Amino acid sequence: MERFDEELLEMAVEEATRSGAKEAIAELVEEDTSQIRFSNSSIDVNKRWDRYHLDLFLSKGRPFSLGRKISTLTIQDPKPKKIRERVPKEVRKLEELPKSKLYWGMDGDSHSSYPKVNDLYDRSIESFYDKAPRLIENTIRESMKAGAKKVAGVLYFGKRKRGLLTSYGNGGTYKTSHCEATVRSFHESGSSGQNLVVRRDLSDIEENLLNAGRKAGELAKKSADANDGKEGTYDLIMNPTVGANIFGNLLIGANPIMWIAGMSCLKGKMGEQISSKKLSVRDDPLVDGGLNSRPFDAEGTPSKRTSIIQDGEFTGLINNTSSAKLWRFMNWKKLKFWVRPKTTSNSKLGQIGMTGTENDPRTLIPKPSNYVFEPGDYSFEEMISSSRRPTIYLTSNWYTRFTNMREGKFSTVPRDAMFLIKEGEIQRPLKNLRLKGDLIEMAKNIEEIGKELKQVKWWEVETPTFIPYIKIKDCKFTRARQ
Amino acid sequence: MDGKSLSDHAVEYGGKKGAQYSEARFVSSVDENYIARNGKFLSIQEKPTQGIGIRILVDGCMSFGSTDRLERKAVENLIDSLIRSAKQTRREEPIRLSEEKTIQKSWKSPVKVPFSDVSDEEKQDFIKKLDKALKQGTGKVIKNRVVFLNTKKEDKYVANSDGSRINSNRSYISILTVMNADVNGKREQRLLGLGSTSGWEWIKKKSIKKRIVKEAKKLAKTVRNAENVQFKEPIDVVVSGDVSGIMAHENVGHPSEADRIMGREGAQAGESFYKDLMEESEIGKIKMGNENVSIIDDPTMRGSPGHYLYDDECVKARKRYLVKNGYLNELLLNREYAHKFDTTSNAASRSNSYSREPIVRMSNTFFEPGQHTKEELIEDVEKGILMNSFTEWNIDDRRFHSKYVGLEAYLIKDGKVTDKMIKRPVLELTTESILQSIDAVSKDYVSRMATCGKSDPMQPVPVSVGGPHLRMRDIEVR
Repeated sequence: MERFDEELLEMAVEEATRSGAKEAIAELVEEDTSQIRFSNSSIDVNKRWDRYHLDLFLSKGRPFSLGRKISTLTIQDPKPKKIRERVPKEVRKLEELPKSKLYWGMDGDSHSSYPKVNDLYDRSIESFYDKAPRLIENTIRESMKAGAKKVAGVLYFGKRKRGLLTSYGNGGTYKTSHCEATVRSFHESGSSGQNLVVRRDLSDIEENLLNAGRKAGELAKKSADANDGKEGTYDLIMNPTVGANIFGNLLIGANPIMWIAGMSCLKGKMGEQISSKKLSVRDDPLVDGGLNSRPFDAEGTPSKRTSIIQDGEFTGLINNTSSAKLWRFMNWKKLKFWVRPKTTSNSKLGQIGMTGTENDPRTLIPKPSNYVFEPGDYSFEEMISSSRRPTIYLTSNWYTRFTNMREGKFSTVPRDAMFLIKEGEIQRPLKNLRLKGDLIEMAKNIEEIGKELKQVKWWEVETPTFIPYIKIKDCKFTRARQ
Repeated sequence: MDGKSLSDHAVEYGGKKGAQYSEARFVSSVDENYIARNGKFLSIQEKPTQGIGIRILVDGCMSFGSTDRLERKAVENLIDSLIRSAKQTRREEPIRLSEEKTIQKSWKSPVKVPFSDVSDEEKQDFIKKLDKALKQGTGKVIKNRVVFLNTKKEDKYVANSDGSRINSNRSYISILTVMNADVNGKREQRLLGLGSTSGWEWIKKKSIKKRIVKEAKKLAKTVRNAENVQFKEPIDVVVSGDVSGIMAHENVGHPSEADRIMGREGAQAGESFYKDLMEESEIGKIKMGNENVSIIDDPTMRGSPGHYLYDDECVKARKRYLVKNGYLNELLLNREYAHKFDTTSNAASRSNSYSREPIVRMSNTFFEPGQHTKEELIEDVEKGILMNSFTEWNIDDRRFHSKYVGLEAYLIKDGKVTDKMIKRPVLELTTESILQSIDAVSKDYVSRMATCGKSDPMQPVPVSVGGPHLRMRDIEVR
């Protein structure tokens, strides 16, 4: 990374504290990301983003006050002169702001070491740029051989260097690489199949891409000549892509900020059985190859694992230092005096706006790292053969929308290959159904969990999720009859 | 070198290096965001951003790149790498762009009070007063009120190798209110967005605060009174502009996007059922609905959330009739797809940031108002419902099978709206059945701001959804 200047971190924190900020976090990021988008079996566009910026989080206020004054400053293409000009100005502005009721302080402990995280960076990313177009052409060819008539998709790849320093002296620097691909293959109108590749290391990337192309092509072919599905109640087998989307919407509620915003169906359910005993899920910033794996969070707190659901019981929220303190304050009547909610190392300078654009405001909030599901005992084939009741197998979905996020009631639209399973065998492809559900009811109805985990992240799944196939009983499907 | 000179240089440099077409877009913007929950501030931020986005067409292959490093050498290096990647790409069908007029113009959104002339205190005060009014207006029913206020000042300069240069100063303001109503274990949520391409004067209008409070009161009424009702037979449904707007956007606007129809969004936002229709017949001859159905997408509406006068490919914006008198009339086109359809662009090319490529987008999409009053639509309904707002909705990725769940909805009996509120009535309908069931359109028009998502990386852009009331006959309501 040619622009990365680690000394700017120290300069920014010093400038902030000298100007009057009580606490400061400086985060320096340089990234070189590329994308290839393709459709109709041809590359549509090659893209490249060259980004380098310094984010500075500042706070002011007494340690025990109810909220503090906060501000986040982004300096693009940071240079010493820009830091010296803009940081004191931002600290002065802080004086005029009201206190944020969301912010209660950051990690003030001193951390001398951080856990080692495997597979963060693969140096072969440096030579990937020139060979990526050929790999995509081969992937398209492989998918066509497997039955696709046309192939669409996207490949992202790149490298990133991140440096962090807090006013408590915590932080460090590390590099990451990443490669993410979606391949969607089409056979006839309305018949399609999708597969994903999500990796940090590129050692077997060519094989992975070809495999994704082949599987997407096979699914597209198998789902040709689908009939309209019949409305009703079925058992459901979700492949990892579908499970990551649906259960991701449940897990995102294990965050006090979502409780405060009225956007979580887990509110008030801590310690309760919220799913089948077969389900255990953790937030894991240390998992090998996880796209959000990292040695420390935005406060310089060493990364650690947090159990969210253990044997069906809702066991934990993700927190940063501030949200843990706020949480304790809001629940002091209910919490036993020895219970001290603490940061779970999930602090991030995350977006909190509603437009979803890069220009949304950012502040220090708890955000999930990677979700990791505990694998079960079943192979995919065993899940199919054990299906004695009418069962639907979904391979992809999109447009999950809630009637009410507080209640967790939603519907989602299956897309790509969908199959009816009867008497333990895949009978035929289906189309034009909609899954209507209740997140907690579905989690309670989990019957079987697969034994192989796959990392999922794509257009419809924001948090990298290691998840197996999951089978759920009694799911409702509807369709537009008119 | 300033952003404009750098853009001009990028276009010239691209040409020298062998690009058939080059385009540079310099954007400098300042966003201000205020977020408050129950009147207490959670975050206040100002975020200046600037950068340059460059598109290069070489041997029929397209590359796009962006950088926040506004230096001549950095831009030249970026263009070199874009040309290299375009040359490494092979396409059987080269990308070509439609021929368009060369334009050199400037435009501004209408602003009376610039955001920079308004103090932070005044902006905070607006949110505090709004929250107070929401609280007073709804008692203890809406316990959780989150207000997002965003102002954006964006200066943009687009230069391309055809010689066009567009300079724009766009000022945009939006307010989003998230309300959670909770009474005796019954819960409802409402997200209401309002916005305008104008200055601070827009939010000072009494009608803005009044409308938000009115919607909050309706939410409180809904959570208290709505009851489950089963309809065994099809009934008539009258939908408000809020609902007709989302239908126009999802069921007609999205499938009209030419890049979807031609498959470019295949792996993400999906394709379009129009493709099947256009294989059987041609634009202008495809019947979509009754003759009283016309659907417009119009970026030229001053002050609207989706307003612009020139798109990001320097093409002059105009009103577009997507459906006219029941027939498919026009698609949404950028220059790439205009060339494929052997026509000229209708200026639908938008990008939401310097770091995103311009693609085909909607602006303000709505059913064209008709001749009737809302009362006339209702008085001819023997049994039906009036759906004023919606909550959950979705649609398949070819934009044919849709679902809209009502929020504020009333029973209509013998031509009159009754006091009986229906809890979450569901319309699960195909686009065809929606358009063909409409037998009357009112002359009123109401709209709100929405954020439309498309592409990968996702490009949320402000649009308006709205329109008149529609009467739909013989609809299955669940």
